Amino acid sequence: MRSVLLAQLRAHAARLVASTLAIVIAVGFVVATLVLNATARSTVLAAVGAQYVGAAAVVTSTEGTSLVDDVDTLTGLDSVAAVAPSYETSVQAGVPGRGGAQYLFVESVADDAALRWQRMTEGTLPDGPGEVAVSERARAEVGDVLTVTSFDETGAEIASEATVTGIVDLSGDPQAGLYGRAFVTPDQARQWGAVDPVELRVAAAPGAGDEQVRSDAATALGARQVEVLTGAERADEAAANMLGNAMALTAVLLVFGTVAVVVAGLVIANTFAVLLAQRTRELALLRCVGATARQVRRGVLGEALVTGLVSSAIGAAAGIGLAALVSALVGGAEAPIPLAGLSVPWYAPLAGVLVGTLVTFLAALAPARAATRVAPLAALRPVDQAPLRSRPGVLRLVLGLLLLLPGIGLMAVGVTAGDVLIALPGGVLSFLGVVLLAQRGVPPVVAAAGRLAGRLGGVPARLASGNATRNPRRTAATATALLIGVTLTSAFVVGAASTRATAQAGLAAEFPTDVVVEGFAGELPASLVGTLTGTEGVERSASVLAGSVTGPDGEPTGAFGVDRAEAAAALRSTEDLVLPGAGEASVPEWLAEVWDVGDGDRVALGGGDPGAQVPVREFTVRVIDADNPLLLDADELRALSPDAALGQVWLRLADSDPERQLEVVDRITDVVAEASPETQVTGLVTMRAEIDEILDALLLVVTGLLGVAVVIALIGVGNTLALSVVERRQENGLLRALGLTRGQLRGLLAWEAVLVAGVAAVLGVLIGGAYGLIGAASVLGELGTIVLDVPWVQIAVIVAVATVAGLLASVLPARRAARTAPVAAIAA
Amino acid sequence: MSVPVMTVPGEPPAAAPAGVAVRAAGLRKTYGKGETAVQALAGVDVAFARGGFTAIMGPSGSGKSTLMHCLAGLDTATAGQVWLGDTELTGLRDDALTALRRQRIGFVFQAFNLLPVLPARENIVLPMQLAGSRPDSGWFDDVVARLGLRERLGHRPHELSGGQQQRVAIARALLPRPDVVFADEPTGNLDSRSGAEVLGLLRSSVRETGQTVVMVTHDPSAAAYADRVVLLADGRLAGELTDPTAETVLDALRGLGA
Ligand SMILES: Nc1ncnc2c1ncn2[C@@H]1O[C@H](COP(=O)(O)OP(=O)(O)OP(=O)(O)O)[C@@H](O)[C@H]1O
Ligand SMILES: [Mg+2]
Repeated sequence: MRSVLLAQLRAHAARLVASTLAIVIAVGFVVATLVLNATARSTVLAAVGAQYVGAAAVVTSTEGTSLVDDVDTLTGLDSVAAVAPSYETSVQAGVPGRGGAQYLFVESVADDAALRWQRMTEGTLPDGPGEVAVSERARAEVGDVLTVTSFDETGAEIASEATVTGIVDLSGDPQAGLYGRAFVTPDQARQWGAVDPVELRVAAAPGAGDEQVRSDAATALGARQVEVLTGAERADEAAANMLGNAMALTAVLLVFGTVAVVVAGLVIANTFAVLLAQRTRELALLRCVGATARQVRRGVLGEALVTGLVSSAIGAAAGIGLAALVSALVGGAEAPIPLAGLSVPWYAPLAGVLVGTLVTFLAALAPARAATRVAPLAALRPVDQAPLRSRPGVLRLVLGLLLLLPGIGLMAVGVTAGDVLIALPGGVLSFLGVVLLAQRGVPPVVAAAGRLAGRLGGVPARLASGNATRNPRRTAATATALLIGVTLTSAFVVGAASTRATAQAGLAAEFPTDVVVEGFAGELPASLVGTLTGTEGVERSASVLAGSVTGPDGEPTGAFGVDRAEAAAALRSTEDLVLPGAGEASVPEWLAEVWDVGDGDRVALGGGDPGAQVPVREFTVRVIDADNPLLLDADELRALSPDAALGQVWLRLADSDPERQLEVVDRITDVVAEASPETQVTGLVTMRAEIDEILDALLLVVTGLLGVAVVIALIGVGNTLALSVVERRQENGLLRALGLTRGQLRGLLAWEAVLVAGVAAVLGVLIGGAYGLIGAASVLGELGTIVLDVPWVQIAVIVAVATVAGLLASVLPARRAARTAPVAAIAA
Repeated sequence: MSVPVMTVPGEPPAAAPAGVAVRAAGLRKTYGKGETAVQALAGVDVAFARGGFTAIMGPSGSGKSTLMHCLAGLDTATAGQVWLGDTELTGLRDDALTALRRQRIGFVFQAFNLLPVLPARENIVLPMQLAGSRPDSGWFDDVVARLGLRERLGHRPHELSGGQQQRVAIARALLPRPDVVFADEPTGNLDSRSGAEVLGLLRSSVRETGQTVVMVTHDPSAAAYADRVVLLADGRLAGELTDPTAETVLDALRGLGA
């Protein structure tokens, strides 16, 4: 049998290309995910653990007690060469030539060279007070003098200066991009507000091992409430903390990998089914000359095993290559996932090859069983012309419904309860049900679509619709593979659109102002409003008066005055920040409690300055969120607080991308700094825009990942067509003899592809859209008001892309079909 | 036994003489190249009269099918010319040839005549639909009635017997009123009763509507339905018979050593 098997493989190698390709892509995807994950892990370990590389042991306090006194205890040990206490603090620092101050996270540098872990891009580490080394993110240069504002224990500001001595290379550290980091001597760190060291890093004396240092230190500090770890242990711990998110990402990626593998499995099963169907006579002949059913089955499964093994191996290699490529591309940039070099864990290629081979083998099981049912006599019978009739598959129907219905029920409960943990299993169950039922549901839809197409596309379209439904099982399997990809893609697209819409509405309500300009000292120059309104990119502005009033409790309190119409125009939302009209006061919750008033109550407010004789005024209370100030109508505030002056300016920016808006915020900051140095500019708009960008990036990544599944499915479409072309050689010859032109024959296959791909795409988008909305509703239900949004354009694009890609998948098979000679019909 | 051979002397005239439906001159067909080359047709000159029913016979491998394919524009000749009426087929491009096949030539094959996905009615009108023309409904009814298919029009091929399938194929071939109908062993897969039925239908279409039919067959009793038998051996014409009977055909074939 082995020689037959090898001969078969050689003869059918070309036909196996499609399933090979499907396996290669799926396995490559899985392996690349695992390798990238391992790479990210080792990169983070190298970056986050860098500071512990030189340390034999690390001491941290468990109960918040100070470690200062322990330094001497440890230094006295024989196995210890040096101890470096790590101080941490933070400062505001101004870099020459750059407006405003930035947040810098300050860490102390070890005195001992062995415990200095920092890699320098440029310059050196600081040696004494007044010197600082910074990370690249601080955007300072060697020689710059930073103006530093630090805070002492009482919170009082201390101004000082520090000269930049070097730039520290933090590449690989996922947090390097978040904020600037400064490295100073321990003394300088204490001057800038650090009190106790957060940990002690201990260097080993020559000849002493890490474990010995750790146990010596632990013994010496036995009575203290501290934890002593070796440097390596501490590094692992730090990396684990950091990688929590990366693990979640890996899980997500593996889910998509699973989708790709399942789709590939469907494509492979299809390929084998068709390959074997074509070889019915061949197999029957084998049976005639004496092969047992077992031998035939073993031959078929052996073929699957070899195909699976070979293509999985290629896939694993491709996956590692892909990971290397991604790492090389992403490594340099400020990427959200830290990657440097390439770490290939032994289990990655192994898992890939195992999964690929197993899936191929499983996919071939059913076709192999069918092959053994071939009667030896089939070799002698003329080719069966009857279209295949699949058995109803009652089991499949029942199982499908058993999965679908409870799944839908769970999702309904999940949506009503706003609980994604209920909806999610419902989604998984029902989707499995959908996949099972697709086998039954797709062919009638294809037939209906075919009738429609037949009316539009003439004879080729009518023939195509007949062809597309003549083997319902194969059509269903082909369409299902595509359906899975399209369903998941559209579920994510729709879900993300609703998430974004909901998030935007929520953010607008919570942060209704794009930019707030506020004076530290209270008062803003009145001319500022005009200047700001004239600034490019600013759409509207509202001036807000700051004054004070006396509450019913007799205590004076600060209040803001707004012109309702003007302010409303400058806000994104007045859902949370209710603006007061004449005779109304918007009272923050906490103040309402103090005053003991509720919504709709009347409250009497007096003048802010007890000396001035101002008549008391009555207001209707509107309670608003606690983090807002007390708001009154501007004119009424002026009446109560005659010295009220411009305290804030609210700005609304023109809608555009985050970078552009950030530029506008920078421009506003410059304008404001020039007019009045004592002001603060808060650009909430950029935060909103960033959340938007993150969602966009996420969506792009997810769509790309699911794209892999769609690509595999489309290979399946091309594959099915290619095999049909081989099967229908005679028939196509007959059509050519009867007068079908080459172009019409190509059209016939194109129609067939469009029917299958189009139906799968439309069904997938409908089902996926529903899943997306259900998912969004159940996830966001926990958060409050849901804004559902259906991105029609993207959905149209998905349908168009899937259909057109199906069309493209038909090009090669169609070319082959068009070469069929008319005599093929007779020369059977 | 010697058989009178109809030879076409000298160069054939460029245009078809009136009354000739299909004609070949100096037709050669070589398969393969070099040492393995097989000469399936080694220079055939033959003409088929309009309104005639001709059978092509000869030993297996003598080139009958090849001749028919070249005459029907299904295959291209290596050398020589073929005319369908006044149209020279040799040298036509594929699309022109395809259009010509669906309008002016009908086919009946031994097996695999019908598209399995289409019901009988659709199979019958397929070539006309491909040509974008509508069958004349009176003529359609007439053809269907003569072939006894009225009750079977909605059935798909696998729901029909072999003889019924062949009758559907004949209806399809006759419907466009082609210049000529080619049939390659149309009764090869049928029992003798269905075979006789099919042959009778072909002959009556010649008698009653003046249809030209060219049929390849191995069966002397099938050839007896024809007006004329053309004999082929080793890719050459090897004689012909007019008003054949099964016996005369058998004798002629024996003379060829078949
Ligand atoms: N596609 C082909 N390639 C190579 N040789 C061919 C091809 N088709 C036919 N031949 C050869 O051409 C010769 C004539 O074949 P053809 O099919 O015309 O014979 P035939 O008279 O129809 O035979 P039969 O009665 O068995 O159908 C044969 O020797 C055959 O082997
Ligand atoms: Mg033949």
